Amino acid sequence: MDIARVISKRSSALWAPFLILILLASLPLCAPQYTIILLTTIFMYIVITVSWTMFSGPTGYISLAPAAFFGVGVYTSALLGLVLPLPAIIGIGGLASFCLALFVGALTLRLRGTYFVMFTFGLVELLLHFVLWWEVNITGTTGRVVPTVNNTKVFYFMLIIFVILMFALYTIRGSRFGLALEAIGQNEDAAAHTGVNVTMVKVITFAISAFFMGAAGALMATRWTYIDPKIAFNPLLSFMPVLMAIFGGMGQLYGPIIGAAIFAYLEEFLITRFPYYYMLIFGTIMVIAIVYMPEGLVGLIRRLLKSSTEGRHART
Amino acid sequence: MKSKVLPGILAFAVAALFMVSSAEAKRRPAKDKIVIGQAIALSGPLAGGVAIAGGPIYELWVEEVNKNGGIYVKEYGKKLPVVLKRYDDKSDIGTMTNLLEKLILNDKVDFVFPPWGTAWLYAAAQIANKYHYILIGGPGGALKLKELKLPYFFQVLNFSETQAPGLAGIFKEVGVKSVAVIYRGDLHGVEYGDAMVPYFKKKGIEVKMKKSYPPGIKDLSPLLKEAKSLGVDAFCAASYPDGGMLLTGQSIELGINFNAFFITVTPFSPNLYRDTFGVDVVEGVMGGGAWNAKSSPGAKELVDKYVSRFGVEPDYWGALYYWSSLQHFQQAIEKAGTLDQKKIRDVMATSTFQTALGPFWYDKNRYFVNHPGEIGQWQKGVFEVIDPGEKRTAPPLYPKPPWPKKKK
Amino acid sequence: MIVRVLDIGIAGLLLGGIYALIAVGLTLQYGVARVLNIAHGEFIMIGAFITWSLYIIFGINPLLSLAICGPAIFTIGFLLYRTLFRRLRISSASPAAFEGSSMLACFGLLFIIQNLAILIWGADIKGYSYLAFPIRFWGQTFAANRLITLGFALAIGLIFYFFLTWSRLGKAIRAAAQDAAAAELMGINIDQVLALCFGFGALMAGLGGTLLSMSYKIQPTMGLEYTVIALIVIVLGGLGSIPGSFIGGLLLGLVGSIVTYIQPGLSLVAYYLLFMLLLLAKPTGILGK
Repeated sequence: MDIARVISKRSSALWAPFLILILLASLPLCAPQYTIILLTTIFMYIVITVSWTMFSGPTGYISLAPAAFFGVGVYTSALLGLVLPLPAIIGIGGLASFCLALFVGALTLRLRGTYFVMFTFGLVELLLHFVLWWEVNITGTTGRVVPTVNNTKVFYFMLIIFVILMFALYTIRGSRFGLALEAIGQNEDAAAHTGVNVTMVKVITFAISAFFMGAAGALMATRWTYIDPKIAFNPLLSFMPVLMAIFGGMGQLYGPIIGAAIFAYLEEFLITRFPYYYMLIFGTIMVIAIVYMPEGLVGLIRRLLKSSTEGRHART
Repeated sequence: MKSKVLPGILAFAVAALFMVSSAEAKRRPAKDKIVIGQAIALSGPLAGGVAIAGGPIYELWVEEVNKNGGIYVKEYGKKLPVVLKRYDDKSDIGTMTNLLEKLILNDKVDFVFPPWGTAWLYAAAQIANKYHYILIGGPGGALKLKELKLPYFFQVLNFSETQAPGLAGIFKEVGVKSVAVIYRGDLHGVEYGDAMVPYFKKKGIEVKMKKSYPPGIKDLSPLLKEAKSLGVDAFCAASYPDGGMLLTGQSIELGINFNAFFITVTPFSPNLYRDTFGVDVVEGVMGGGAWNAKSSPGAKELVDKYVSRFGVEPDYWGALYYWSSLQHFQQAIEKAGTLDQKKIRDVMATSTFQTALGPFWYDKNRYFVNHPGEIGQWQKGVFEVIDPGEKRTAPPLYPKPPWPKKKK
Repeated sequence: MIVRVLDIGIAGLLLGGIYALIAVGLTLQYGVARVLNIAHGEFIMIGAFITWSLYIIFGINPLLSLAICGPAIFTIGFLLYRTLFRRLRISSASPAAFEGSSMLACFGLLFIIQNLAILIWGADIKGYSYLAFPIRFWGQTFAANRLITLGFALAIGLIFYFFLTWSRLGKAIRAAAQDAAAAELMGINIDQVLALCFGFGALMAGLGGTLLSMSYKIQPTMGLEYTVIALIVIVLGGLGSIPGSFIGGLLLGLVGSIVTYIQPGLSLVAYYLLFMLLLLAKPTGILGK
């Protein structure tokens, strides 16, 4: 009987995500177009947050570089225009970010704690101002038009990026590589002593997470239609994944996902209902959330479930 | 337990989204008003610009139209009042494009108004065009936008294309021999920087210095000092309000004066620029624009209405342009007798209507050409139009008087 | 040539003085109290707007506003720590978790403060002219208001430095900066000290805002760019080192001034390049251990 329960649990864990995926994939057939646009944005945040958690979750290194990697993707897309097919552009955008992350990672991952945080943050600003200077003084132009793409197509591509990301995440988690990553997070020095190539593991994970941010950026550029360095390298975007992951709760894989989804939806909801007060409301929600849900939504859900099962036990 | 929670939540979220979106799609009231959507910066770095230049004009126009009962649409046989539905784009272009599509697709607004800023206008023009929505350009304008050839986009504001030759003409007239040009490192700066130089050269004016500065710079004094040491007659800056205010402030503080002092964006604002520094201080400063209450009877009326509504004067660059473009738009709707975008677009593209600034029409590229003025200059508290020709409201003051030495 | 060098140097210091002041504020909050205060710039903004209102409406001298803004903003900061951040510190499992959760809370504060400022003062740019005239010495011209700003920034920095070195409370703050847990064991009321640190941090930001408003135009959204600069400076100076951030601020001003003189377009690039190169070469900052 125990085995049966395990199997059914297993299968439910497997089929449920698939069902949701199919549901999402069929959405464009029946949902209004704006829902698709909104979902694309929400999934963009999910992709960035999950790929951020991929590196920063297990290692505990808080990276503020997402805006840099996302921006590189955006810029790649803007530079290439639509001369190449969209999947190729997304791939190149992702690869460009991957390479940048390899370089930056190799350079900086010996920095720890706050110094790493600040370096990654500086990277965004450096790229922004350097690209700006380059365009203004060397190429003599700034700002690029990106041709628009069908909204449904963008949605599907974002969904595909998300699925690949989740697949990559599961693969890494179950592998020796993932274990090494966990070990680094628990005690970096100890991990090094047990033979883990600490630098290599960190740099590669950092680069993989950057790949997905870059890919998402390259895709989103087609939604924004006009790109300049200030738009591509928006420092606020670096904070978003951190906030969303904390809001959702970092302990579980699904924490960042629901964190990003609810955070992004909430923002859209407030901004359209209360254009003049939305920051006030949103800010208050953030402060209350962090005070009363220190472990994020995941912690809250767990507490609720616990109390409800305890209640049931009490009644029986 | 973990595995049950995740799918449950996700499924719930998806279902909720379905419900929310379908509920919103169902609501469609009978036609008793015209809803106009606008995604514009109410917060973020651009919000300051919206408040001093352009933003309030749209509100004023809506109030004005409703005071007269609305816009008469023949199709419905009655006057329909106008409602302005605004969203805050947080000065973020991604948010703006999303919200603009929400207005068009979800809220099904009848028309859309433009966002604030040249880059934002670019993005909005393409999206509006994609859905065949008319977009009447507001604050912002660039040559590069012309190359896109968007049939539903109408450019209202003048920009470097006409202002640069205007400025060069004035400089030639008053006898400027040499200039220094500095420009902000963005689309606005680059276009103005590049546009001004060839016109100056054509008029035989020597460009002794041309340098860019990054947005967000906190000290422009080295540029001022360098220009001064080169002994140029005129100092020209293509900047946004932050740079424009800093530049003027530092010139005053350091007592560095030029025979002509021109800044593209900022001097046009009476409350921000003139009243912050003082009428006697800004005497002789030139800026992009331009119009004033003397430009036309309609212009005088606009100033009065604006002052009585908001308590301050309107900006002397875009306000009259946008105001008149909206009057043109209203007459186009009434002439077309419908709310159909295509039909109104055709009327707009071909018809001339009387507006506050006089006759208003678009050329074959759908660019407004009958500008009330290109370059303004503060003279005794009035932003005088100093273009050569009939639009001029006062001759240029040259050389500019030195910054007054007042000590508090 | 020497005159030129002097000119660039002083121009750099004029800007660096303000950077130094706001960076000292953030060092107290981040370096000591461990709150990554993204809303630091919002306190600067509040200081600037209060000064503006007092000057425009009541005609109160901006330098006098220092005495009004300072205590008011100190109180806000102190209370915020006592209520919000203390709670977060206690409920956080680890220092890293506290860093994350306090960042989220600060983001919330940023939103709230900025929105309130827009509701109270409107979104538009504001400014006033105060002491806007040139002063000449050593054959060069300088702005009176900026010289005054620098003078006050240096004076405030010095006073604070002496306070830290000589007073009991100052010593407690320095102890907390080095090792909060050990300081607690030594019988220091760490909650009180950290709350005071946060309050002093807000105070510095408020004073910085007041001084800034004398030479720069202000708007409700101005905060973030100063936060960014302050973040760079505190790392430059060595996290938690108060003299370090003061020197770092002056240094950043100098570098900006030199690069603006050579190639203005690159002045901001230079900030970040300097910052990142220094981080790589000496991760603990100029005065770090």
